[in-house]
Amino acid sequence: MVRRAPLAGLRVADFTWVWAGPFCTLQLAHLGAEVIRIETATRLCVTRLLPPYPRDMEPGPNRSGYFNQYNQGKKSITLDLKRPEAVAVARRLCAASDVVVENFAAGVMERMGLGYDVLRALRPDVVMIALSGYGATGPDRDKVSYGPAQVPLSGLSSVTGYRGWPPMHVGISYGDPTGGLHGAVAILAALLHRARTGEGQYIDLSQWESSMTVLPEAIVSWTMNGVAPPRDGNRDPHMAPHGIFRAAGDDRWIAVAIEDDAAWARFARCLGRPELADDARFATLVARKRHEDELEALVTEWTGTRTPEEATVRLQEAGIAAFTAATNRDVAEDPHLAAREFFVELPHPEVGVRRHIGVPWRMAASDCRVRRPAPCLGADTDQVLREACGCSEAEIADLRARQVLA
Amino acid sequence: MPGALDGLRVLEVGELVSAPYATKLLADLGADVVKIEPPGIGDRARRRGPFPGGTPHPEKSGLFLYLNTNKRGITLDLSTAAGRTALERLVARADLLVHNVHPRDMAAWGLDYPRFARLNPRLVMTSIAPFGLSGPHAGYRGPDVVTWSAGGVAALNGAPGEPDLPPLKTFGDQSGFQAALTAAVGSLGALLARLATGRGEHVEVSAQECVAAILELTFEFWPYTGLVASRLGQKPIQPLCFMECRDGWIFLCAVEEHQWERFVDLMGRPEWAALELFGSRLARGANFDALQVFLQEWCREQSVEELYEAAQRRRIPFAPVSTMGDLLASPHLRARGFFVTVDQSAAGAVTMPGAPYKLSATPWQIRRPAPCLGQHTAEVLAEVGLDAAAAGGAG
Repeated sequence: MVRRAPLAGLRVADFTWVWAGPFCTLQLAHLGAEVIRIETATRLCVTRLLPPYPRDMEPGPNRSGYFNQYNQGKKSITLDLKRPEAVAVARRLCAASDVVVENFAAGVMERMGLGYDVLRALRPDVVMIALSGYGATGPDRDKVSYGPAQVPLSGLSSVTGYRGWPPMHVGISYGDPTGGLHGAVAILAALLHRARTGEGQYIDLSQWESSMTVLPEAIVSWTMNGVAPPRDGNRDPHMAPHGIFRAAGDDRWIAVAIEDDAAWARFARCLGRPELADDARFATLVARKRHEDELEALVTEWTGTRTPEEATVRLQEAGIAAFTAATNRDVAEDPHLAAREFFVELPHPEVGVRRHIGVPWRMAASDCRVRRPAPCLGADTDQVLREACGCSEAEIADLRARQVLA
Repeated sequence: MPGALDGLRVLEVGELVSAPYATKLLADLGADVVKIEPPGIGDRARRRGPFPGGTPHPEKSGLFLYLNTNKRGITLDLSTAAGRTALERLVARADLLVHNVHPRDMAAWGLDYPRFARLNPRLVMTSIAPFGLSGPHAGYRGPDVVTWSAGGVAALNGAPGEPDLPPLKTFGDQSGFQAALTAAVGSLGALLARLATGRGEHVEVSAQECVAAILELTFEFWPYTGLVASRLGQKPIQPLCFMECRDGWIFLCAVEEHQWERFVDLMGRPEWAALELFGSRLARGANFDALQVFLQEWCREQSVEELYEAAQRRRIPFAPVSTMGDLLASPHLRARGFFVTVDQSAAGAVTMPGAPYKLSATPWQIRRPAPCLGQHTAEVLAEVGLDAAAAGGAG
């Protein structure tokens, strides 16, 4: 049986840049949509200008690992949207697209003449989504938003941190993938609605709001009781021990979570201290929470003399949740992920074969995968203008001569 | 107005965050979601809270009430043949089943995709597991601290210059939320594929992989440059940092040159724009020890709200370090109607996060509160011609 891609034949006009929008359309590319990035050499996507670049090469806009990770499977065309002729081409592309995705500041698409009202007149069943920092309405709609600032804005920083220390970040611009995935969910749901009714629609996604939907315990703690959970490092109110503990080696660490009293008894046996299972200081969750400093010292005594890999195998074989606090290298070299064929290694015209992260879900019957490496800037301009916009060769040559395709 | 997923029949065998949030996303868009819980004890989220007044009660857990809006709830003991038979009757007319039963327990709970597919070839089944269903670590256990670490995000978060502080987990079950969102994407993808093929399929989600998928630019440092990312390194570009003001914390973000020039002007220190020490974002990163002292001294005199607004008027993307109280008081969020108040039978009115997106034709909406344990057992089983007591579902 030929495997069919879930979104085969579906075209997406992708005006997004940086991370949230590209992460949204990456999911659609995994599902087999033809995702066409509209870019311009006059103002490059930020991620094309960020490292990492291959160590042995000059940096270049097609060589960023960041861009090349989150734009796999997509096409790229260049259009200088400051030019009215370019906007006219973009409009033709949107009219030929099922989905339009953008993450400009509020109002930018409208000012360019690419707002939903215009596009809907051209294509009544279009599904359009705007992923903005603050949303398309409301008094703060014109505020500027950067990925890293979304984490503190959302409230996540105020409850993340070491006990007694200042608020902390996440380590990544977490609002971006969270917003991007919510956007993909909304688009796919809108496409199911369209398949049933023929009706398209406009989706207004605020990254700020989608980031708060993943903080229910903190928000509801406030609305119920007027208190927010304190910053408490890696501890958990319902599990102890629960944390990331020092292991043998240079800055090596292992996460361990004891999920219930039975797991504690198994853990005590691993520690070679089976008597601790019935020790009044540790036998119940309440007791373990009360003696958590002592408990963590016991754990560290054991983990500190073993590599995290060795400790992981030992604990997981005993039915205890544990794993190395993996670095990027550990992830790239994880034998389990390799056995699951999670990584993608496709030849890219400029950086060659590099290991990339693949699709984090599997479909048993459908064709769901990374179909091609990230596109070089403008690599698909001619083909897309011909096939999607219906431009003739002469028209394309003329647009290029007038620097519209820059 | 209709929901985007009206008429979609979804079953959930889920607990805590991942499967429940995946089906909440669908339920809030109109799907008919039936949540199946073990009789007597129910979903573990019922025991996590927060609870009103801090007093545990299975019908008053804030996490549970939030994650299960718009669902009907039934109890079935899937460790018994009668429970599994009832599940099969429900499967026979469902479009989608989402679960996060650990792969080690799936067979005992009757979660058998080939068998389900014979009963209902149109069924999509989505399995969420900490490390996926295959591979050498498929049997591993993994609550959030473990999968967040295994996927590589925990190791990125820490305090520069504090090697004795461990990698820091993010608040909440964020692996669960990422796996939930990915499961919703995969499930909806399979339902769209079914439009063309007429057949369902088995979708599988690994929480570890969902976390690895959001490593931003750090993963590629290894294959592209051979560098290992560390939580202990100073940021190469600044200012991109937390600062304490007189009434709270703010996040400064002025890495671009035009942002920095406007910021020094805002501080009344325009001459800093000419200082070589802080002359580029990289220079500010390299000399951050010095810069930090100056910035902290100045910020300590400011109010968060005034500095945020003053910066935003100059198009500098600062953000407050919002407290929960700040979020609930935000005029912007109020104007957009973000928070919703849901009347729960036991807990009363509970205010919680609302729509993550606004769909113009098929709005996100709350139609019913989270179910009490077993609230809809008789009703749902009657729909498939079963008697609740006979199915062993009374709970």
